[in-house]
Amino acid sequence: MNKDITRDGKANGSSQSVITTQDVNLWYGATHALLDITMEIKTNNVTALIGPSGCGKSTLIRVFDRMNDIIDGCRIEGKVYFRGKNIYDPDVDVIEIRKRIGMIFQKPNPFPMSVYDNVAYGPKVHGITARSHLDEIVEKSLRLAALWNEVEDRLDQSAIGLSGGQQQRLCIARALAVEPEVILMDEPTSALDPIATAKIEDLITDLRKQYTVVIVTHNMQQAARISDFTGFMYLGKLIEFGRTVQIFERPGQELTENYITGRFG
Amino acid sequence: MVEKFHLKLDDMKEEVLKMGFLAEEMLEKSIIALKDRNKELAEEVISKKGEIAALDFNIEKDVLHLVPLYQPMAKDMRTIACILKMITYLTRIGRYGKDIAKAVLELEQEPHISKLVSIPYMAEMVNSMIDDVLKAFETEDLSLIADFDERDDKVDALRYSIFRECISYMTENPRNITQCAHYIMVARYLERCADHACKIAEKVHYMVNGEHIEIG
Ligand SMILES: Nc1ncnc2c1ncn2[C@@H]1O[C@H](COP(=O)(O)OP(=O)(O)OP(=O)(O)O)[C@@H](O)[C@H]1O
Ligand SMILES: [Mg+2]
Repeated sequence: MNKDITRDGKANGSSQSVITTQDVNLWYGATHALLDITMEIKTNNVTALIGPSGCGKSTLIRVFDRMNDIIDGCRIEGKVYFRGKNIYDPDVDVIEIRKRIGMIFQKPNPFPMSVYDNVAYGPKVHGITARSHLDEIVEKSLRLAALWNEVEDRLDQSAIGLSGGQQQRLCIARALAVEPEVILMDEPTSALDPIATAKIEDLITDLRKQYTVVIVTHNMQQAARISDFTGFMYLGKLIEFGRTVQIFERPGQELTENYITGRFG
Repeated sequence: MVEKFHLKLDDMKEEVLKMGFLAEEMLEKSIIALKDRNKELAEEVISKKGEIAALDFNIEKDVLHLVPLYQPMAKDMRTIACILKMITYLTRIGRYGKDIAKAVLELEQEPHISKLVSIPYMAEMVNSMIDDVLKAFETEDLSLIADFDERDDKVDALRYSIFRECISYMTENPRNITQCAHYIMVARYLERCADHACKIAEKVHYMVNGEHIEIG
């Protein structure tokens, strides 16, 4: 009788992992902010991290590019493999890691310089000086970030004059200019209006073809729309991780269910 | 705001149950009317047609209203999916009750053959399935629908035996043809109602634990 015709939504084995964490624990002084986080970030997929405020989403996403290193009193245990290499090994070049793993923040933070220089900044730091080469990178990055058409005739103007949504796409272009493999985004649209948000969401969906994206968001509909995998965090733990469709249609854990249906606390 | 959504969803579930009881009542009364050749009761069933259609229309409208406002997820979303399907099946069950009641009016002048064959017994089985699936929807107790496959098989077998029996009455005496033709139709309607109860059971199962299953 009751034949279960459900197709299990579990991760497809074919897709490779670009980042893998193993029993990661993190403390801010005495605060134990991450507890035994073991997870995989799949190449060419969008992974969303959701969970209530203070659950450790930003902390976890910062673990992936060692951004917590600069925080006083922060201590981390466990392993974080990026393409098979533990990025917390002492011989790792942090600058190199941050080149290959870019970060976009909640509030757009363009440098107080021209649109062009914002995008060219990273490549210049990494040693590219030929103007024609830089021109090429700037145009390509701005196109990838779906901003080119809006700024091609104002490349010399200050980035500060752009709208919030344009600034955020500029920051994405700036991150793309150094050809990262992974792009981390911490609530990239929370300061934007719905139209600017839709543009960034479309952009993220396109980026997946070439990059791997990890995004922290408070907007569950956004996570459902744009991600392939979703992790639900609570009190520093990764409670559930799986295919986005499964998490939002049929979560396995009661905590996840309660959170995404708003029956929390 | 989310709190308000859950209150509204509870209200919608109440409405669905109300509709379910109405569909059940229509089917039950149509069979009593058939058995007793009770014209008034048959007309009462037919008069409920508008009521059940209105419930169908209003529940669908109200539930669809909730979707853009609250963008439900997980079990909330599954409940909404279940309700939207369920009301269609319940409308059909009610309409079969109405169709049987119409047959009662046509059979008014004809005497019954051999205690109506096994139609009342079959109707009882179908009604208990509708009753159980409504209870399962209300209480989320899936054990109530766990044996629906077997029960549906029994209903199917009964329909076939009624069909065979009617054929033999018809060959015996052509004056039985009118009644028997109606009995065959009624048995067919009851069988469809059991199928709808199974379909509802699939949706209730999905609502409760997110699994798509096939019943019947
Ligand atoms: N620099 C810091 N120093 C000390 N404690 C911190 C620091 N950053 C975060 N924390 C603490 O670590 C925990 C996790 O914080 P985190 O910022 O990662 O949460 P979050 O899930 O990103 O929350 P939000 O949704 O509000 O952004 C919280 O208890 C927070 O107070
Ligand atoms: Mg945060």
